[in-house]
Amino acid sequence: MTKKLRMFQFLIYVFLFFGFLNLGVLKKPFDPKAGIFFGVLVVIIALTTWILKRFYPMGDRIIFLLTMLLCSIGIIMLYRLNIKLATKQLAWLLLGILAFLFVVLFLKRGLAQFARLKYVFLAGTIMFMSLATFIGYEILGAKNWVKIGPVSFQPSEFGKIFLILYLASALSNVNTRKKLIEPGIVISISLGFMVIQRDLGTALIIFAVSVTMVYLATSKKLYVLVSLGLFASGGAASYAMFDHIKRRIMIWHNPWPYVYNESYQLVQSMYAIATGGLFGRGLGMGHPGYVAVNESDFIFSVICEEMGLLMGFAILILHFLLFYRSIRSAIHAENNFSKLLTAGLSVMIATQTLVIVGGVTGFIPLTGITLPFVSSGGTSLLISFLSLSIIQKVSEGED
Amino acid sequence: MDNLTNNIKRIMIIFLVVFFVLISYLAYFTLVKGPEIVTRPDNRRMWDIRNKVVRGTIYDRTGKELSVSEKKSGSGEYKRVYKGGAVTAHALGYYDPQYGITGLENLYDSYLSSNISASLLAWIGNGFKEVNKKGDDVYSTLDYQLQKTAYDALGSSKGSVVVLKVDTGEILAMVSKPSYDPNNLNKNWETLVKSKNVPLLNRSVSGLYPPGSTFKVVTAVSALENIEGIKNETFNDKGKLNLGGGYTLSNDHGEVLGKIKLETALVKSSNVFFGNLGIRLENDLYKTAQDFRFNKDIPSNGIIIDKSRFPKYKTHEKGNMAQSGIGQAEVLATPIQMALIAQTIANDGVMMKPTLVNKINDYKGNTIQSLKSSEVEQVTSAEYASEIRKYMREVVSKGTGTRAQVSGIQVCGKTGTAQHIESKTPHSWFIGFAPYKNPQIAIAVIVEEGGYGGVAAARISQKVMSRYFHK
Repeated sequence: MTKKLRMFQFLIYVFLFFGFLNLGVLKKPFDPKAGIFFGVLVVIIALTTWILKRFYPMGDRIIFLLTMLLCSIGIIMLYRLNIKLATKQLAWLLLGILAFLFVVLFLKRGLAQFARLKYVFLAGTIMFMSLATFIGYEILGAKNWVKIGPVSFQPSEFGKIFLILYLASALSNVNTRKKLIEPGIVISISLGFMVIQRDLGTALIIFAVSVTMVYLATSKKLYVLVSLGLFASGGAASYAMFDHIKRRIMIWHNPWPYVYNESYQLVQSMYAIATGGLFGRGLGMGHPGYVAVNESDFIFSVICEEMGLLMGFAILILHFLLFYRSIRSAIHAENNFSKLLTAGLSVMIATQTLVIVGGVTGFIPLTGITLPFVSSGGTSLLISFLSLSIIQKVSEGED
Repeated sequence: MDNLTNNIKRIMIIFLVVFFVLISYLAYFTLVKGPEIVTRPDNRRMWDIRNKVVRGTIYDRTGKELSVSEKKSGSGEYKRVYKGGAVTAHALGYYDPQYGITGLENLYDSYLSSNISASLLAWIGNGFKEVNKKGDDVYSTLDYQLQKTAYDALGSSKGSVVVLKVDTGEILAMVSKPSYDPNNLNKNWETLVKSKNVPLLNRSVSGLYPPGSTFKVVTAVSALENIEGIKNETFNDKGKLNLGGGYTLSNDHGEVLGKIKLETALVKSSNVFFGNLGIRLENDLYKTAQDFRFNKDIPSNGIIIDKSRFPKYKTHEKGNMAQSGIGQAEVLATPIQMALIAQTIANDGVMMKPTLVNKINDYKGNTIQSLKSSEVEQVTSAEYASEIRKYMREVVSKGTGTRAQVSGIQVCGKTGTAQHIESKTPHSWFIGFAPYKNPQIAIAVIVEEGGYGGVAAARISQKVMSRYFHK
């Protein structure tokens, strides 16, 4: 196992090497910064892997390596798009990994102890979910960003984590139907705030995560069906009520009549993916400039254009493997709280991937969210790493 | 807790399925839908890719430049210059970032804008130096001089002329009028789009006209194939054919031709005789029309041909049956379809795939593709084709088509005067081939609202054929 892991790790270095070599020669004569990026990334990966192995030989190191490969793909693309963005992303990656290591190394006692903090999580959930409604500002049609001092972030990103923590704690010992009322209300409030903030992507993720966690805790398919029914009627009601939702559905149904207007972003994304074909046009050979928000929501499209459908497959497969390894540690977790928490976080990351990739390819209506570990974005990356650290912690058999 | 563990496993399987579905969709989207999406005109990427190369040149069959990319003075940009101008506008099409790509420019775009410099192998082969960014050159089958003759012969009339090489299906000329100057699209675009004469339409392949009496060639083939002894059968043409319900079909000028056989009927273009055949043949005529590829796609190279139409009538619809026998009712044909009928008769019943491209040379001048002629199919037997050739020779030597005669060449043909709904003046048609022995070229001419086929269209054919045989 260790040998195969080392091979995997080595192959990530090889990927990084060729990626940055390619980026380096794109600029004539040669861009030395690409070499620095390569070096920094290799050191980060090597060092973190060494620490994980040194202190937690029983922990799952595949999870970290899968994540690093996803981050590498993202940083290579970001470097090609805009070196400044890539530098920022590298800094956030460092911060993310530090947070990750902090949780993994210094959270000495088991996770189960946090199950007691249900009401703290509840308060955190409501606070973060609602924050942007009151002091948020609008970006790209969604009012889900908050600026405090020099830092702007999406509070709903933190809200999601608190909701999962709260649900894990509230659902870990559900034995009567009554005990589902409170979580039900919290989920509804969270969804409500997301609809008000027009953050439909996050609403979708909250819904998927909540339904999954309720099902996991209760084993009742009925609840799933009821939730789906409620979701459908809620969706129909918002379709009737909100023009922006109507527009999204219309664009998804047939983008071609609105190529220069409403569906411009989606169509450019589809052109990018279609132009890339199976092998892509090559790093630096495509036209990511035509794709809006190409560093974040639409990064998958520009990756497909330049690195091809095969890289698109790779991202989806890596994300599935990450999901598989994460949920595997949920299975091995020793208490309900940890199981639910890990499963919830894994489902959150996986759903986010499915929703954004499905959106930019026109498979489902487009909603603006980031592709975990790949998209540029500080909060998103930090949150993803914090989730990962909890999953990692569980994989070590924390109790 | 065991429940929980089992539930987690179930969730894992659900997600596996969802991931699989998304991956499958992505593959379907990129590989199946993608190629058709990228060619949409509003995809700016394709223009960026095209602009990276100097677009290849389109030549005529003698090597004369027809469409070239020339450097704009004072800038590094290239501009498409159409040396053929309005004469070759429809056949070759235009290439314009604002108005899109049409015609041959569009169908051979992947060659004209092929960028070999993007290929790693070409780069290595060139000693690691950048390869000249020049697209492939396309040699069309057009004979510019012949094309110009046909263009001039049509004068200010609307209509089309198509000239094919009989043995290969090469398109020697393909004219559509009214035409436009592709060099001045920007200036004239509004007028071009709004004009009710639709100058942008390539009538040769997309104009659908009632073929009128030129269609009698098909009816005659059908009669030979389906009615035994029709060659020697005598029919009394009293000048009128009773269709029942008070409707009658008469010959032009109300002529009464008396006792005639198939041959005389074609030579004199008897509506009564062929109307009667239309009724007698019933759906056999429909079948023969389909053999000549009415209602079907015609395989072609460098052009896209709209389907000609021959509707299927019920046997009790005698009027329509009779009318379809003389190329009226709802029978509609493109000029190239009618040229192919002449070509098929001239080529012993074998229809050749019409082609507008002879060869493709890469930027170094090496031929990378030369196109071989190919058969569409044997439409009718050589024997019947030869019989019809005899009749068509008579049409020009002493029948309705005498104006198509060319000195020293035995021209064969069939005239048509097609009624249509737009105006009272009929369309003037002529289809034919020459020489009688070993035919070389086949032709179809239509002059919209040109009056009698034996006059306007036959005269144009005469000019074009003279040009071909007496350069």
